[in-house]
This record gives sequence, structure tokens and C-alpha cells, in this order.
Amino acid sequence: MERPLPALAVFTLLVLLAGGLEVVRPFGRSLAGLTGGLLTLDTLIRTGLLTIVLVGLNLLMGYAGQVSLGQAAFYGMGAFWSAILTVRGPVLGLSPSLVQAWWWPWLVMLLGAALVGTFAYGVGWVILRLRGHYLAMATLGLGITVYILLRENLGLPHLNLTGGFDGVFGIPRLRLGPYPVWPAERYYFLVWLVALLVIALGLRVVDSRVGRALRAIHGAEGAAESVGIPAAAYKAQIFGLSAALAALGGSLYAHFQAAVVPATFGFVPSLELVVMASVGGLRSIWGAPVGALTVLVLGDFVRTWMRGLLPTMAGEVEGILFGFLLILVLLFWPSGIAGRRRAAEVVL
Amino acid sequence: MEVRTTWAHPVIRRQKRAGLGLWTGLVVLLIALILLGREHGFGPADFAQFAVDGLQAGAIYALVGLGFVVVYRVTGVINFAQGGFVMLGPMLTVTFLGQRTTAEALQLLLSILRAVLLTGLVGLLTYGIALRLRRTALPLTRIMITVGVYLILQGAALLIWGPRPQVLPAFTTLSMQDRLLVVGEVVVRAQTLWIWACAVTLLGLLAAFFEFTLLGKAMRACAINRTAARLVGIPADAMAALAFMLAALLGACAGIAVGPVTRPTFDMGLEIGLKGFVAAVMGGLVDIRGSVVGGLILGVVETLWAGVTRAGFRDVIAFLVLILLLLFRPLVPLSEEA
Amino acid sequence: MPYRIGFISSATGPGASLGIPERDVARMVRERLVVQRGIIGPDRVRHPVDILIFDDQSSADVAASLARRLIHEERVTILVAGTLSGPSLAMVPIATEGRTPMISMASARSIIEDPATKRMRPWIFKPVPENLHSAQAQADYLRAVGVRRVCHLYENTAYGRDTFDSAQVIFGRANIAIAYSDSFERTATEFPQVARVRASGCPAVVIGSIPPAAALIHVAVRERLPRVRIVHGHGACSPDLIRTAGPAAEGAVMPCGKVLLAAELPPEDPTRAFNLRFVSDYQRFTGGAPISTFAGHAYDALHWSLVALRTLPDGLSLERQREAVREALERKIAPIVGTHGVFRLSPEDHLGFDYRDFLWVTVKGGKFTILPKDQWK
Repeated sequence: MERPLPALAVFTLLVLLAGGLEVVRPFGRSLAGLTGGLLTLDTLIRTGLLTIVLVGLNLLMGYAGQVSLGQAAFYGMGAFWSAILTVRGPVLGLSPSLVQAWWWPWLVMLLGAALVGTFAYGVGWVILRLRGHYLAMATLGLGITVYILLRENLGLPHLNLTGGFDGVFGIPRLRLGPYPVWPAERYYFLVWLVALLVIALGLRVVDSRVGRALRAIHGAEGAAESVGIPAAAYKAQIFGLSAALAALGGSLYAHFQAAVVPATFGFVPSLELVVMASVGGLRSIWGAPVGALTVLVLGDFVRTWMRGLLPTMAGEVEGILFGFLLILVLLFWPSGIAGRRRAAEVVL
Repeated sequence: MEVRTTWAHPVIRRQKRAGLGLWTGLVVLLIALILLGREHGFGPADFAQFAVDGLQAGAIYALVGLGFVVVYRVTGVINFAQGGFVMLGPMLTVTFLGQRTTAEALQLLLSILRAVLLTGLVGLLTYGIALRLRRTALPLTRIMITVGVYLILQGAALLIWGPRPQVLPAFTTLSMQDRLLVVGEVVVRAQTLWIWACAVTLLGLLAAFFEFTLLGKAMRACAINRTAARLVGIPADAMAALAFMLAALLGACAGIAVGPVTRPTFDMGLEIGLKGFVAAVMGGLVDIRGSVVGGLILGVVETLWAGVTRAGFRDVIAFLVLILLLLFRPLVPLSEEA
Repeated sequence: MPYRIGFISSATGPGASLGIPERDVARMVRERLVVQRGIIGPDRVRHPVDILIFDDQSSADVAASLARRLIHEERVTILVAGTLSGPSLAMVPIATEGRTPMISMASARSIIEDPATKRMRPWIFKPVPENLHSAQAQADYLRAVGVRRVCHLYENTAYGRDTFDSAQVIFGRANIAIAYSDSFERTATEFPQVARVRASGCPAVVIGSIPPAAALIHVAVRERLPRVRIVHGHGACSPDLIRTAGPAAEGAVMPCGKVLLAAELPPEDPTRAFNLRFVSDYQRFTGGAPISTFAGHAYDALHWSLVALRTLPDGLSLERQREAVREALERKIAPIVGTHGVFRLSPEDHLGFDYRDFLWVTVKGGKFTILPKDQWK
């Protein structure tokens, strides 16, 4: 995008407006009341969390052209990292006063993002040698392996770190000094502050030397290398960055939901992330919030409004609708809703 | 079915060495598991039992993997809907059988035939609707489209059959209780023999089809070079559609063969599909023999692993093997024309 | 002034076979309330009651979103929600912060009890017996028949793991040794664990699983060990077990909720009339669907809700309504007859179930039948 700043400013204003409406409650109505039940605060917070993850995925898939079918695993790693270190800290030998300090969850969150990012960077060096389908399958395998480890309590049932199938609950809310970043109306602003920063970061990367190098790699890796672009290094960096962002989103999610279960981070959720990114538009950073919002609102719509039309079948129909949506978007809007449409360009 | 070239070529030599390393690794893993098993007090009879059970699972993976290979070779698409075909086979059979748990042999046979053919039709439809429309799309788009098809199949199955597991009668006794053959201390279910027979028969038929029939050779031509095939008058689209139908037939048969053992459910396709995919990758997605052997090995290793270690980690081994495979076989030729 | 009850079950996804009967019960009760034109409070004022029914698709995220929506946007007085433990636990903080009473239909203890403080969560209740109760019934049986060593196989889910944890605690206290234990995958077709069961020589195998996995492993055990006793938990007591295990199920024993054998209950049983009427209403509404314990839990949860609502005087604000329901559940409605027994709710016990309210049943002639104590051998 040539002039990202105006778009960013407008978007920030929209975000502030939505949050403001929820706090002020004109006419005594919440955001959901004002929009006829279409947009709830819950949906907007989840959109923000997913935006953080999807910006990374967009950079990876849209710009660098690398496929990830296991991104939910990084999301889950961040979520469980925060959950374990804030809830099960004493089991690991951490002193209770440390674990209960207000700054501890923030430190854990940043540390988690850094660790997951580094891990992905290292793994990226190895598996990003693969191309196309094979890379997709390797990320798939990685994602499922992480999911199984989370589900199996990391193979250490006596420590009960990840809580098996039930996961970890009782995750504390984030606090700034003595002030909790809660209730949800306040948390919304925190989530979107981070999301906007991440969007700005994404826009910056796209416009930088790294971004141009990535596009070159996507277009023709061999040619890019021949002009001196260290493709392997850049690919690994982007993979690491996308994983770090996903983990950051995961941590914020953990403190929002207060309970995390492994089922949220398996293969199908990874697919859903790719669908959201595709629907929003892989070649545009704005595709992240657009895609997330579209899919979430559609899901909400089917769950709540269509109950009236199809009282017996709403949930089952949603499964089929999701598949149809994916196919329709891939067939007719391959550039996504926010993506730029160029004649012969198909980005997946 | 591989294009033969001289082994002296450096790329091929590296590939051969990598392949050798991979098989060595698997053998080492097998030995390690056996040693671990001995520690737990397993005797030769137990290992024989593991082998039998593993070969049963492996035969199913091999069949499902064949479906992936057929589609991939002819169209270059990884067909994630394959798991959906595996699920449709037994579910439709149960419906055609009237949900009875005992039946006459003829009734069962007819129900199976109808189910298999109907699933084949669904395979054709998959190709027709989803994949013909976007000719210029890159392979990954088409993969994602097959994912969408899988989601639709699973959702439709839930709508039609509900979440409860169905019951398919065993083929030998035509009822729920299967006959058991006891060989020494090893117990073999009669259905296992059916599964092996089915796998061998289908494999033989497929090989004969590709080798001896005009249609089969036409499909192979498409797989080797789609443009050249069209130049000599082979309708590549029709071949692709046929490939999908074949994959659906294979998948349905696999699902039906294992149906009496596993109580078919609307969501059984996901996991079997992924395991079958791993088997196919062991053949580089293009080699039928490799994928069959790979499926069998996967089944045995998986069963042995689950028996010897915590059962919860059973699925991990399949995906770890997948990752290792992908790392060691990056140079298998991909069908670029899709 | 109408009351609103928010109902969330897992009608799709892995929990669907539990959530669909629950949803059917909610629909049945909703229809009944329409016919009866609501309930009558203590001051003779009539209140229509509406039940808003949703599907959380077995997803914790969807459940949390729906719970928030029901509490804050739809302004329900009571939340009857949670087929599975995962989604239930995700809804617990939302109901607590929203100061709305929530009655869950899932079994995990941690839903109603904070594991850190071991105290009851003030706003959360459930009418669902736990694996601890099941294990106590199993221990009674095993001791009565003289079995002191068992093998324990459990499915690799939270439920299965919980059956094992409960067994360890209860069997330990009862001096029953668990010689060998292992988990198995719900989707497995082969069970190498059976080999090790045989190697350990246990006279009884305790299985912690629900159908169809429970049926599959039962068949595997029975095939290789024709004479071993097979003991299930209360989660396996369902027609699906017999349907998917077939003739191999003969002779299995397990504790069972009273609702499943309503017709066989002795006349002096306090739940007999309640259960008979529920079963006949349910089968008439669903066109003959087999009765299940999950349907029973949903019915109990809604029954508690209605009984609590009946104690509310007219004219309360929504916040006061919710508090009043909570107090009623804790202090006013016990002892209350339910499908699984007589529940004695109190501030210290938001479940109120006694394990002796379980029936001990066996599979005979392809059906469940009560096995009286004098026939335990």
C-alpha cells in the first residue's frame, strides 16, 4: 500500500468508536444492542486476538508465499505458556509471591512470544527448505504434534502441566499495578492496542527491504537468490515472526478466556485460520481483521439468527456452510475481500 | 511406474542415500520398540499379535494412500476429501442395509456395491464442481478446495446420520459377533483377513488397470506429462475426473472393509485420511508400491509404539514420521502441471 | 413478567451424542411451559418462562461467546449450560462475573468446586454424578465379590482420566490394588493394552469410557479373556453400549442412573413416579428415542431451575432475580427428587448426590437389568 497512514488512522478511529460505544452505552444500549445483535463486544475482542495471529500468517503466506497449516499450534503454545506459568507456577518451583506479582503475566507473555518465535525460527531453517505441498504437510505435522503434546499433558501426568483434555482454568486477569485490565470493555482496548501495533508493524515490514525481498522470494525463489537475496534466512525470519505474533495473541487469549483447552488449537482450528486469512485477503495486511471479523460474524449469525429459521439444524448447517464458504471464496474471490484484484494473479 | 534414469546422476544419488537413511532410521526405530517391549515383558506371541494388528491398520492406510496417489499423479492435487470418501462408504452401506445388524450375504453385497458406486459418483462430483471451475488456480488453492469438500461431506454426514456410531455386520458371520481364528496365542479376527484380501485384490486390479488397459495407460500418460497427453488426444479433464472417481471407489472400499471393526461415525474420515496421506507420502505421493509398503510399515510401527508406550501418543508417531519423511525426500519430482 | 432461561448444549461436534438428547429435553420442557402458560410464583402471579436454546458446537470459545451473549444481551435469569467439561469451565468465570446462576450438565468436579480452595463456586451448580460416586459403587461391588486386584483401562479423554483418578483414590481406600492401568484412544481399532492385561492376570477389568469406545474395548477384552469380570462406570450405562458391543456385552456390570431402568424401580423408590413420567413424556416428544442419562441431567437441571423460579416473588429486578435463584438453589429446594436420585443441595454441596442412589446393573439377554446385592457373586 502506498499510503498506509490514512487507512490506519481511519481504522483506529473505528476501533475507538466501537469500544467507546460499549463503554458509554448511548440509549442504555450496548454495542450489540445498537447493531441489532450483530456485533458484540465478545466478537470484537476475538477479532482483535485473531488479527494479531493473522497478520503474521498473512506475511508468511501472502507475501512470502510459505504455507502454514499448523499456525494454531503456535497460538496454543503462547496460550498454554501463559496459562501454565501463571496458574501452575508453584508446581514448577516458582515462588508464589513471584507468580502473583502484577507484572509477572506481562513478562511471561513477552518471554513466550520470544521463545516461540525463536523455536519457529530454528525449525523454519529446517523445514522451509521444502516447497509447496511438502511444506504445508510439514507444518501440518508440526501442528498436530504440538496439539497432541498439549493434550497428553506433555507426557508428564504427575506434573499435570497442561491439564490433559480439560486444559488449564483459573487463569488470572492482567493487571497494571493495582488496576485490573478488566472487565471486558477495558480488555477490548488492550487487545486492540496490541492489534493496531501489530498491523502497523505488518505494514512497515511489507514496505521495507525485507518485504520486497519476500515478494521476490514468493515470485521466483531461484531468481531472487541469484540476485543475492538470502531466501532461507528471510523465510525463517518471517516464519519466526509469524509464530511470535501467534503466541502473543495466544497469551492475550488466555487471559481473556481464563480457561484454555487443547481442542482449541488442533488441525481444524489451523484450517480455520487459513480460511480467515484467505477470505480477508492474503496479499493485504488489512485482510487479517477483515477476514477474522467476517468469519466470526458469519458464525454468530448462523448460531443465533438462523436458529429461528432452522431450529433443529443450526449447528450442523454451520459445518456445511463453512465448507461452502471456503470453496466459494477460493473460486470467486481468490484475492480475498480486502485483497487487491489483479487479472491473472491468484495468490495461494 | 517411475521414469527410469541413471543412478549416477548426483540428484538421484543424493535421493538414494536419503532414502536409505530413512529406511535405516525406521528399522532402528522398530528394533528400539521391540527392545522396549521385551523390557515390559512382552513375548514373541505379543509381538506377533502387534504385527497382525498393525498389518490390519496398515492395509487400510495403504488403501487410503492409494487414493491419494492416484489423484496426485494425474492431477497434481492433494485430495483432502479422500477421508470423506472413506467415511461415506460404510455409512452409505449401513443405510442401504436398512441399519440392520444382521443380513443375508446377497443383501450385504448389494448394499456394498451401491455404496461404493454412489461414493464414486460423489468423487466425480467433487472434481466436477470444485476443481474444474478454477483452471488457472495454483495447486494449493485446489487443495484448499478439497478441504472445503471434506468439510461439506462431514457436515452432511452429521446432518443425515447424526452423531451416533453406526454398526456394520462382520462379513464372515453376517452379524455383529465376528469369528476369531486362534493361531497359537495370536488371535486374528476374521474381518482382518477380509481387509487383507480386499487390499491385495484392489491393488492387483489397480496395477492391472494401469498396466494393461487403454484407459489406464491414458491416465498414466496424463500423470507423466499432461500437455503431451493432450497433444496426442487424451482428454486430460476426463482423466482427472476418472482419477477422482477411482480414489473415491478405493476410499469407500477401505472404509467398508474396516467398518465392522470400528463402528463408522460421521467424523471418522479425518484421522484415517491423514494417516493414509502419510502412507502416500512414504511413496513420494507418486509411487504405488512405496505407498503400500509405507502404509503397512506405518500401521505396524504405530501399533507397536502404542502398545509399548503411552497409548495417547499413538498419533504422534505418524506425524513425526511424516515430518522426517518430508525432510529426507525433498527431491521427489512433483507434477508441476496441474 | 416473563423469565428467561438460557440453555446451551453441544448439539454438534464430539459432544453431539450427549448434547442432542439434552437439547431435545430442553425443547420438550419449553413446549410444556407454553402449554402450561408458565409458572406461578408464591404470590400467585403467573410468569411465562422462555427457554432460549443454543448449540456451542463442543467448542469452549463458542460456549464462552454464547454465555456472554445470554447473560448480557439476552438477559437470562438462569443459565443451564455445558454438555462437556471444557466448555463448562470456560463459562464458569463468565457466569460468576455476570452474577448469574449456572447449572452445568457436565461431570467434572472442578466445575462446581474450586480446586485451589476446595470450596463450592457460589454461582455454579450441577445435577451430574461424578466418577467418584461411580468408583465408590464399583468398590462396593468388588469387595462384595472378593476381588482385590483389578486392571483399569480408561479412554484418553478428560472423562476417562477422571475415572482413573477417582479409582485410584477410592480403590486405594478400599484396599483394592490396581495391578495394571493404561489409556486407549477413542478412535482406536486395535487394543494392544489387552495383551498386558492378560499378562498381569487380573480377575477383573474396570473400564472407564463411554460408548462407542467402551464397547470396542469391551469386545477386545472379552475376545481375548473370556472369563474375566468386566466392570464399567456409570457413563457406559447406555443403550449404545449394548448396541455397539453386541452379544459380547453379556455379563458386564456397572452402576447406572435410575432413569435408565425406571420401569424396574421398586414401588417404594422416591424417584419412581418422577422418572416414569419423564421417560414417557420424553419418548412421546421425541418419537421413541431411547432414554439416556444425558437427557436425565438436562431434565434435572431445568427442573431445579423451575422449582427455584417458583420461589421468586414478583417484581424483582434482574440482578435480584439471579441472586434469589442462587439462594433458592442453595437453601430452599433441597431435598429435590430427580432422575438420578434425591438431591440434597446445600451451600457446601452444589451437587447433593449420594452414590447409593446408583443402581447396580448387569447386561442380561441384551438388556440392562438390576442386579440385587444378594446376587452379587
